Amino acid sequence: MKYKLCELNKKMIGFYGFAVILIFWQVAPVFNLIDTQFISTPSMIIEAAAKIPVELLIHISTSVQRVLLGYFAAILTAVPLGILLGGWFPRVNKFLNPLFQLFGQINAFSLFPLFILFFGTKELSKFFIIYWSCIWPILSMTTLGVKNVDPLLIKSAKSIGANKFIIFKDVILPGAARPIFSGLSVGASRGFLMIIAAEMLGSSAGLGWFISNSSQNNIVPRIYLGAVTIAILSYLFNYLIKNFENSIITWKEEANV
Amino acid sequence: MADSKKSIIGKIKDKFIDSLSVILFFTVWELGPRLGFLKSTFVSPPSEIFLYYIKLITEGNLISHIGISLFRSVIGFFLAIIVGVPLGFLLGGWFKTFEKLVEPVLKFLGQFNPFSLFPIFILILGIGEASKIAMIFWVCLWPVIFNTTTGVKELDPLLIKAGRAMGLDKLKMLIKIVLPGATPYILNGFKLASSTAFFMLIAAEMMGASRGLGWLVWNAQVNYQIPKLYAGTGLISALGLTIDRLFKLCEKRILVWKQQAVS
Repeated sequence: MKYKLCELNKKMIGFYGFAVILIFWQVAPVFNLIDTQFISTPSMIIEAAAKIPVELLIHISTSVQRVLLGYFAAILTAVPLGILLGGWFPRVNKFLNPLFQLFGQINAFSLFPLFILFFGTKELSKFFIIYWSCIWPILSMTTLGVKNVDPLLIKSAKSIGANKFIIFKDVILPGAARPIFSGLSVGASRGFLMIIAAEMLGSSAGLGWFISNSSQNNIVPRIYLGAVTIAILSYLFNYLIKNFENSIITWKEEANV
Repeated sequence: MADSKKSIIGKIKDKFIDSLSVILFFTVWELGPRLGFLKSTFVSPPSEIFLYYIKLITEGNLISHIGISLFRSVIGFFLAIIVGVPLGFLLGGWFKTFEKLVEPVLKFLGQFNPFSLFPIFILILGIGEASKIAMIFWVCLWPVIFNTTTGVKELDPLLIKAGRAMGLDKLKMLIKIVLPGATPYILNGFKLASSTAFFMLIAAEMMGASRGLGWLVWNAQVNYQIPKLYAGTGLISALGLTIDRLFKLCEKRILVWKQQAVS
């Protein structure tokens, strides 16, 4: 029984901090530590959410849809391209890599006006900005991962007589899985970052728009609601990717840090 | 002599091959609008953009835009370092249980989308410089804290024990062992922070500012001044790349004892 409690305590330790902060946040206005005109308490945020549940859901789904569309398009192009470049065309990769690095380092945000110029202010420009900001980390990590697969493994697979497809499926893909996943998670967080910004600058729906609209109309609890919702969403998304990664990569021991 | 000359030529050749794709990209970009297979109303060739820089500088306001942008990001960045590094040291080294308690909270706060917080900063700090600097501070703070904490935590305990065995007092231990040991991580945090700082700054300036590079680009887009738009975008990219390079250079200089991993 005691042992179980200890285990529970260990698991819950992360939540204590949250609980303390939430309680402080909620109670602070009572003691005049913060001004509710500027800082909404958690109960006010929940209340704001309860008033407009359907609207909030629509905004959430709009934003998530946009991110996922760009993100999956980026995965579908970047992963095969990265595998090809890293594994089969090292020379092409050497030739193109500096350009890709340059593209990846360019401030995606400063390109947004250009995307509007080319693709208009509708969905297409948002799709492309997400696509653009997701594709470079995924591509570079995939290329790197495939390139760095231990050649010894490939050689030994060859010596056992594996054909190209089997080498690809059983050696290269698993070997590159970690870097690919880390590219995927960087891409996802970039995607979430960019969609909010893009929606704040020019849109008529989505969480970014919800926040900027609430701030223009000075509905303070809704600003906080939007911010918290986005944080929870991106947290969930990262968590899902991590879980997916761990369910696929079962052969690697967990390093205890 | 001839040998060294050859190696210089060889180096130049290597550099040329390395950057060939970039050069090709710029050539296509230059020739595209001139030969007419890209619409020149949408795409300005690089040479025109370059001429536009000279015009912007001589007419006087470009330098001030760069200045104000750099000023904002540097202030926010240094504030984050001043707060983040000591905090990271404390969390990583001295208050381990406390660190366990607050780590999830900090991680969650770090996940907060800075754009969504910008209206809140404006609400609390007004639309002046303070809200922009606060935003830069916010985005820089997390990488600095997390990396410093990791650096202190990853320190080889053997080193600390050896130090203790040789009778180092706490201050010396900090200066001679903990600090150098954590420096690679700390610098990595700075690097991450600097690039996100610049990134966020441009966004903040686009959303609400009347000066600065982000404003310049946004204003150009709104007024449909295509060369100015490209000029601003190019300048922002170049500045971001320069900052990145500078940090890499500093890292090499500071971490003289660390061997370069061949990648």
